[in-house]
Amino acid sequence: MGLKSFSRARAIHVMLVYTGGCNGCDIEIVNSILSPRFDAEQYNVFLTWNPREADVLVVTGPVTHLNRKPLEKIYEAIPNPKLVVAAGSCALMGGVYKNCYGDIPSEEIEGPVENIIPVDAKVPGCAVRPQDVLAGVVSLLPTLLDAD
Amino acid sequence: MDKKVPRSDIIETEIPMGTVHPAALEPYRVRFFVEDEIVQEAEITIGVNHRGIERIMEGLPVQKANALTEKICGICSNAHIWNSCRTAELGLGIEIPERAKYIRVIMGELERLHSHFLYLAHGCEVLSHETFSMRVFYLREIVMELLAMIGGNRVQYGCSVLGGVRPRCELDDARIERLKNDLNAIEEGLTGFVDRFLADSILLSRVTGIGVLPQKQAIELAVTGPSLRATGVARDLRTTMFEYDDFDFNVITQPDGDVKSNLVMRALESFESIKIIRQAIANLPEGKLVNQDWEMFDTDLSESYIEVPRGTLYHSYALESGRVRHCIIRTPSMANIGAMQYACIGDQITDAQLCIVQCDPCFTCTDRAIEIIRR
Amino acid sequence: MFSNTLLNSVVAVILTVLVCFVISTFLPGIERKYVHARIQQRIGPAVIAPGIMAPIKFMFKENVEISSPVPKLYKILPILCFIVVLCVLIALTPQAYKIPALASLVAIVGFLKVEEICYVLMGALSKSVMSVRMPFPDRVKGAAHLKAPLSFIEDISARRSLRMITYGSFPLYLALFAPVTAVRSIFLQDIVAFQQANGPFLFTVSGAIAAIVFFIGYMIILNEYPFSIIKAKSDVIEGPYMEYAAKYRAVVFITRGFFMFVLGAVFSVLFLGIPPNIFSWGILVNIIVALIFVFMMGIFSAFSPVFTNRQLLPTILGATLLGILSIVVGLL
Repeated sequence: MGLKSFSRARAIHVMLVYTGGCNGCDIEIVNSILSPRFDAEQYNVFLTWNPREADVLVVTGPVTHLNRKPLEKIYEAIPNPKLVVAAGSCALMGGVYKNCYGDIPSEEIEGPVENIIPVDAKVPGCAVRPQDVLAGVVSLLPTLLDAD
Repeated sequence: MDKKVPRSDIIETEIPMGTVHPAALEPYRVRFFVEDEIVQEAEITIGVNHRGIERIMEGLPVQKANALTEKICGICSNAHIWNSCRTAELGLGIEIPERAKYIRVIMGELERLHSHFLYLAHGCEVLSHETFSMRVFYLREIVMELLAMIGGNRVQYGCSVLGGVRPRCELDDARIERLKNDLNAIEEGLTGFVDRFLADSILLSRVTGIGVLPQKQAIELAVTGPSLRATGVARDLRTTMFEYDDFDFNVITQPDGDVKSNLVMRALESFESIKIIRQAIANLPEGKLVNQDWEMFDTDLSESYIEVPRGTLYHSYALESGRVRHCIIRTPSMANIGAMQYACIGDQITDAQLCIVQCDPCFTCTDRAIEIIRR
Repeated sequence: MFSNTLLNSVVAVILTVLVCFVISTFLPGIERKYVHARIQQRIGPAVIAPGIMAPIKFMFKENVEISSPVPKLYKILPILCFIVVLCVLIALTPQAYKIPALASLVAIVGFLKVEEICYVLMGALSKSVMSVRMPFPDRVKGAAHLKAPLSFIEDISARRSLRMITYGSFPLYLALFAPVTAVRSIFLQDIVAFQQANGPFLFTVSGAIAAIVFFIGYMIILNEYPFSIIKAKSDVIEGPYMEYAAKYRAVVFITRGFFMFVLGAVFSVLFLGIPPNIFSWGILVNIIVALIFVFMMGIFSAFSPVFTNRQLLPTILGATLLGILSIVVGLL
């Protein structure tokens, strides 16, 4: 393991972008980073709100129409190597909101997240459990460590 | 206090924040009009979260629509499903078993605890007081685990169903024992936190007199819920709801309408919630959980107001052959947006997000199609 | 003979700086893990994570085109900050005392001023995606004040740093000049010699008051929590540092830890009379002082919310008055 992988494994900056879900996932994720019970910092995962600092982008929500462009902009602002975790069933497949008009495509929901930015890991759940989010970020570690 | 008037003539600069911002737990856009770091006017733009839930609900069977209301909001999900079931029950004239009524109240109050703790923790976080935020999040974790124990999930429990509560949410002796113990732990932790909070002069100097919402103004803006009670108006819908007839609790008010009043009021209200849950556990009646002895028929408009953690929630249904013909949901943050914009005026830009947080925003609740279909 | 002394001095300075630098990279981690996390009843990150591993990680990140009107200047600024801090440390080493222009309080104050001015430029040059550039249709028909000029959140931050230059750093500078009242010389050589002869300045009345003022000034200049108004999370997110990515962010991270150590060394020179020198046991005192400052700062910042202008002005005014008091006591 070179210095690159070694340092990447010991400092992971996570940024959260909420794109119009029901709030449940957002709070569970902020919780898992913030609350002393789950304390993601003990795995050297830090929460940041600055895209320039982030390594991993956690996206929740089905990406509503107004959220599409901000999400793209934030994704572009993150320097390489970057990874995306889609958390929650809305982010994975649009949730209950996606197919509300049957076969007629919905104008409101642009998601799932995969349609807009490439997704590297998917964390299911409605709402996601903090343990699952941590597991999702950790499962990305090999990809992150080996990236250029 | 004089009425604060937004000055429209000279505006130095505009600072937009959002849709992603550390002080906000959900996407919304806010434009602050600032002069010398003092906010002169604020404009909150919602609609970022619009998903059209009411549209999806139309045409669904009532039971499915009830389950869907939970997805409106991840914070007060139980309140939505409770009120949705209550609306349908009122329309269809369904009697609810006493035990189910009590369990609904217990869930409602646990949810109020978790929402108020989230408020306290998030408020401290926006104040950049990480330590207090962590301590409240730690307490909140206990409540979350109690909710997960009863409902089976940490956020969306699906407790209420038409005619009662889900059999999964039965409270047996072991669960009641755990509930009792954890309530003691929560009460102890919260007492410690409140004592510590009120003794911290630095923190108090930071929150006193910030984001003032005068009582007259609050009534004019039709503010609901805890934000209204923090301005000194003792108005709580729980006093009029039949579910709460058997319980003895106080309506907490605070005089000032600033951030301190709001924070203290939520903390004190949490003690009342603990009191209600204790009463409910002590007098939990025996009996079945679901009343399945009812028939579906077409109803005209049926509506219901309940007090949820963040204010007054309104649901209305019209049913036709077992399906939802029309539905309107009005959430507390809808009424409180005016208060959020008003509270910012005249404060430092550093406090502006705090003033918005003070009114307990939940824009995910609020962003829905407001489409009124009348016959 | 002369060149030999010079060579020895240069080697000594380089070794001292290297040792100090290595130790300084642990300071942010120590603050985070052993102070903040302990107070917050959690485990916290590894000690090496925030101070060492994060900068190395950023070194390996791909650089992006930053959005700034003058990208080159914006990129130079953190390096300039680092050099300034380095110069302060070099000025403190006993080998530098032979250059009186460098090893004087005026030079140190000048260096610290450059550091502060960098914050203003950084804030003014950073145009992050998080505010105005976020594509959102909010200036539409019916919205309020469509013609109001737009500001980025970093612009507020720049204006605040300007304000901090005018009054925010008074306490630190007053505390720096407090020892002068006893020694009657602004040269570090004299200050150190005086204290080695007459005992540390810290243990006089004037010195004790000045030490408190120095601590407050230390937190203000490091932008640590109660005084972190120029990078308050509740409105400007990270303020001047918003746009730094990859290597430049690594420099920002390193500078912070290094600055913590250097200010601790300034204290031990001015108040204890022990300069950082690799060839004497005195360097242990420097390290201990730096650690004590980090611990105290961590405890203080864990228990206080961010101050707005309303609280900042009285606090700084109080600290300034205290600083003047210490100087007056020293003169009497």
